[in-house]
Amino acid sequence: MTRPIHDFRLLRPQSVDAVIEARSMHENSRIVAGGTDLIVNLRRGIGRPSVLISLDGVEEIGQTFVSPDGARIGSGVTIAAVLADRELAAKFPALAAAAMTIAGPSHRNLATVGGNLCLDTRCIYYNQSEWWRASNGYCLKHRGEVCHVAPQGDRCHAVFSGDLAPALLVHGAEVELAGSGGRRRMPLADLYREDGRAHLTLADDEILVGVHLKHESLRSGYAKVRTRKAMDFPLAGVAVALDGNVGALRALRVALTGTNSCPVLLQGTDELLGKPVDEALLKSIDKLVQRQAQPVRTTLASANYRRLAAAGLARRLTDSLATGNASVS
Amino acid sequence: MSSQPPPRKQIVRMRVNGRWREDAVADHALLVDYLRETAGLTGTKTGCDGGECGACAVLVDGVAVPSCITLAARCDGHSVETIEGMAQGGRLHRLQKAFHEQLGAQCGFCTPGMIMAAEALLRKNPKPTEAEIRSALSGNLCRCTGYVKIVKAVQIAAEAGS
Amino acid sequence: MNASVPGTPANARRGIPLVDGVEKVTGKARYTADLDRTGALVGRIYRSPVNHAEILRLDVSRARALPGVIAVVTGDDCPHPYGVLPVAMNEYPMARDRIRYRGEPIAAVAAVDAETAEQALALIALEVRELPAYFASDEARASDAVLLHENKEGNLERAVHHAFGDIDAGFAEADLVREVSIDCAEVNHAQIEPHAALAEFDPLTGRLTMQSVSQVGYYLHLMLARCLEMDESRIRMIKPFIGGGFGARVEALNFEVITALLARVAEAKVYTELTREECFLTHRARPQTTTKLKLGMAKDGRLTACECEVIQRGGAYAGYGIVTILYAGALLQGLYRLPAVKYDGYRVYTNLPPCGAMRGHGAVNVRHTFEVLLDRMARELGLDPFDVRRANLLEAPTRTLNDLMINSYGLGECLEWVEKASGWRERRGKLAPGKGLGMACSHYVSGAAKPVHWTGEPHAVINVKLDWDGVVTVLTGAPEIGQGSSTMAVIAVAETLDIPPDWLRVICGDSEVTPKDNGAYSSRITFMVGNAAIDAARKLKGILVDAAARKLQASPDDVECAKGSFRNARSPEQVLPFIDVVREALVNEGTITVKGTFTCPPEAQGGKHRGGAVGSTMGFSYAAQVVEASIDEVTGEVTVDKVWVALDCGHAINPLAVEGQIEGSVWMGMGQALSEETRYLDGLPAHASLLEYRVPTSNESPPVDVHIVETNDPNGPFGAKEASEGALASAMPALVAAIADATGIDLDQLPVTPDRMMDALIERRRRARREATRKVAP
Repeated sequence: MTRPIHDFRLLRPQSVDAVIEARSMHENSRIVAGGTDLIVNLRRGIGRPSVLISLDGVEEIGQTFVSPDGARIGSGVTIAAVLADRELAAKFPALAAAAMTIAGPSHRNLATVGGNLCLDTRCIYYNQSEWWRASNGYCLKHRGEVCHVAPQGDRCHAVFSGDLAPALLVHGAEVELAGSGGRRRMPLADLYREDGRAHLTLADDEILVGVHLKHESLRSGYAKVRTRKAMDFPLAGVAVALDGNVGALRALRVALTGTNSCPVLLQGTDELLGKPVDEALLKSIDKLVQRQAQPVRTTLASANYRRLAAAGLARRLTDSLATGNASVS
Repeated sequence: MSSQPPPRKQIVRMRVNGRWREDAVADHALLVDYLRETAGLTGTKTGCDGGECGACAVLVDGVAVPSCITLAARCDGHSVETIEGMAQGGRLHRLQKAFHEQLGAQCGFCTPGMIMAAEALLRKNPKPTEAEIRSALSGNLCRCTGYVKIVKAVQIAAEAGS
Repeated sequence: MNASVPGTPANARRGIPLVDGVEKVTGKARYTADLDRTGALVGRIYRSPVNHAEILRLDVSRARALPGVIAVVTGDDCPHPYGVLPVAMNEYPMARDRIRYRGEPIAAVAAVDAETAEQALALIALEVRELPAYFASDEARASDAVLLHENKEGNLERAVHHAFGDIDAGFAEADLVREVSIDCAEVNHAQIEPHAALAEFDPLTGRLTMQSVSQVGYYLHLMLARCLEMDESRIRMIKPFIGGGFGARVEALNFEVITALLARVAEAKVYTELTREECFLTHRARPQTTTKLKLGMAKDGRLTACECEVIQRGGAYAGYGIVTILYAGALLQGLYRLPAVKYDGYRVYTNLPPCGAMRGHGAVNVRHTFEVLLDRMARELGLDPFDVRRANLLEAPTRTLNDLMINSYGLGECLEWVEKASGWRERRGKLAPGKGLGMACSHYVSGAAKPVHWTGEPHAVINVKLDWDGVVTVLTGAPEIGQGSSTMAVIAVAETLDIPPDWLRVICGDSEVTPKDNGAYSSRITFMVGNAAIDAARKLKGILVDAAARKLQASPDDVECAKGSFRNARSPEQVLPFIDVVREALVNEGTITVKGTFTCPPEAQGGKHRGGAVGSTMGFSYAAQVVEASIDEVTGEVTVDKVWVALDCGHAINPLAVEGQIEGSVWMGMGQALSEETRYLDGLPAHASLLEYRVPTSNESPPVDVHIVETNDPNGPFGAKEASEGALASAMPALVAAIADATGIDLDQLPVTPDRMMDALIERRRRARREATRKVAP
């Protein structure tokens, strides 16, 4: 007999509009997609929404369309479905590589693309039981005043750990949002901000309905470090997409997860274009990553390790993609 | 007994191991509690505080899910299979037979979830490689076997065919 | 069918599946959480939010007043300290006056449902005066530290000082003397079944029925009688299916006593199931250990002396602590020839959940340190790791300096097999960059020759019942917890009677039906219960042979009993089926019950020195293993690619189960080496989930090639010894040696998580740079 979750009402609207309506009608509501993140938190007493609005009945967001020009992936598409889609994997290799590293196989059957992009931020002081957090005086992210990771500061440092975001960022993804004011599209990077307590820029009545990808014929990959090779969030995750070869890069994008409160699309990679992929270039990437990755001690593994591992992965991925070595996931 | 009103319940229809059931289920009830407490199917286990060990794995519409983080109400109208539905016609399912004969089960507590995860794999991929087996079971923790004989059991079950 | 034909090597036999295996694979097996809970109240425990404090006020009145709450208990309900060691009972099921770790039980409620129980906990008010808290051994041992237990100076639960042989002469004789200090993180059993207990108190009869996850029903029985001030005869212990133990449940645990207290106050059935977090708080596992070891070695690899200091961070209460710190010293010996041994052990009280026994109890971290140092010294002397072990082999029969008895010793054969199977000679040093091979050895006891509660009774008793239907029922108190003990008992009886195992049934673990058994710990069951089972079966066989002789009108000496039938050796055409003999045996007698026993002789019970009984055993298992590993220098990730392991278990009664135990123990050691550790943040367990406590998944678990070595121990049942703990402790040093082989890095800390490996790689780079500059400089 599991410990009871607080009582709530479950709504299962059948359309995006109905979801938005439900959202505006119920102030203390939460959207639940696969539930693999949210239900775990609710079981630990993190949040007490009185209404859960389930997306599982919304057909529109459950489809993937792939065309020669790109793809639209519904936010309700499961990770398992992403993995099963060969066309998607062929066009956007980093996406499939990242999907394969998420949690365990049964989670991937429930978890969705939207859920992974909107994954709650994580921290060793936050992802604990009610008894634990209460004994510790709670924390800035939830019910408390202090960030135990950086008690002097005034922000929450909980870390974003979704695997798909960096893979989609390096492929230039845009997200499609629906709200009471209609629909809008924006670059995926704009969905996030560097604040562990409120890392999503979604408005209260807005939901993520899909991801748009343009086909650019990039080589891409994703790699992540974790203590176990399954059932572990990234201590650092890196996606790289590039065009060109060892002689000269025509395009290079690098994105990180597991290091900051939001996924990071590495700045400054454009300056490396046209250059050969040699030790000097790899060193530059290493430096960029080390400067822009800002891990703090939200995990038991050291922050410094996560920074170094992110840099090392970025170097290796870039090198192997440039030299055409395919085994990069 | 408590001072609060009783939890809101809805009628949920679920096909459990081939038979339709109809039960009043609270919105916040988990599938694992529904199966164990309401349907009396205690073969499905809980080993963690949510989504971490795989002992609760069951099949929903043929794919493995962790029932301890699945809301029962969301399974309304769906088909659920548990370890109790595996043996048919007085014979052990090939995975059960292989787990038994190869010592894929020691204490047996992870076994139901492990077998359901393996069943989901074999339905999708009847001839998996060792790496594919290990990957498919990577969300199911076992503390007794080191997975050696579990992997062997799945290989033997796969060879035995359906 | 024979699992255990004498003369056929184990590796050519298969063994049989577990006798309770079908229930497990079909979901029919009922674990504690699956028992009939009709009408049961829900028990929940209120736990301390602070590390170390005096209780000023505990108010449970509002909880008690909540409708639906049937019982509330606190420390006031049990004024009796309890504990597994009669000399160290210093724990209450719920704290009284003093709280010593965060998460310690303080009160408990039983309510009509979980929601109500939860609400009741929130109504409990606690006021405390906080005291300084200590989370490290050295902090707790500081001269100005507040004492956790009044009579324990320096917060030491026990200091052990043992010396055997001439230690100074030993070091003087050495060509090489080296010292290390190695830190092994605290780990946890993490058995997949969470703790649970179902207690029913019947006020009409005054009887308590307890069903729980215990590996030691008898010890729990004793402690329930003590804590509830009940006569032992009013308590019945029933063991359901148990989802693993590994030592987590080898002492009465607070939640079990609390559930019984609640049931008595409520005069009802109470069910308590702990969360995974609470399982980690209950803990009782392997302590964080700092081992300082100094070895002396001759040029040819012979060990000349061993000096060892062990500091164990024991947590807040005694538990098995004294035994753990004694084991750590005692089991320095028994694996290799050691002419002189000095041991100083310190078991320290700290404000953390109490440690206890875990697979390889006491021996593991010390063995790790020993093997690691042995390897490094061999390297320094230019010796092969195998050769240095071979230079120190024992010869059975022998006794160690601390008077441990060794009658069989297969380490040499273990070494030979793993060396060959792993291709050590051909492959070592020639692997791809980033890959390495390492090896190590280990051993473990086959049961403690002196049980913790000494009563003068035999070490094991088993009953075998035979009735008119021809069913042979084995009645044993030995807790089957997944290790295959019931199957072992069935085979022992079936082989002795030469009947198919399928003709037998086992009833296991019901205090009103089965004979008392000390429990599933220290790998005692195969050796002790196995011998008792054979003893019982021989007696039954005698009765059946007599009956057959009557029916065949032959002399009992001429009756042959084979493959389930009896015949007259003088006229082989005279054959009687088993059932006919059974019915003849029952004439004038009725149902037959025989008893078998086993007692460890005094010479097995250890030396006369203080604590000399710990480590004493009828026989040791021996193991050697080779680990092949890969190190990713970019990420610090370590992968175990393959393990070859050989274990001398004397004789494999059930080879299938022996293999399973070896694979599981090697893998558990690998988990401790790679990823498992408990970590506390100001006394709060940061690891208290199966996400943060990283039990390896199937993805990073290697194939394990197992070889069983049979040395046929003169006292073991069919020659058998233990098989489930001995191989664990060599997994960690073999991996650390493989890492050293691959990278040249010597690691002094476990587990080797990617961040620790990365730190070591960076340090190596720095050192190389420093050395390069030094060389360049004039």
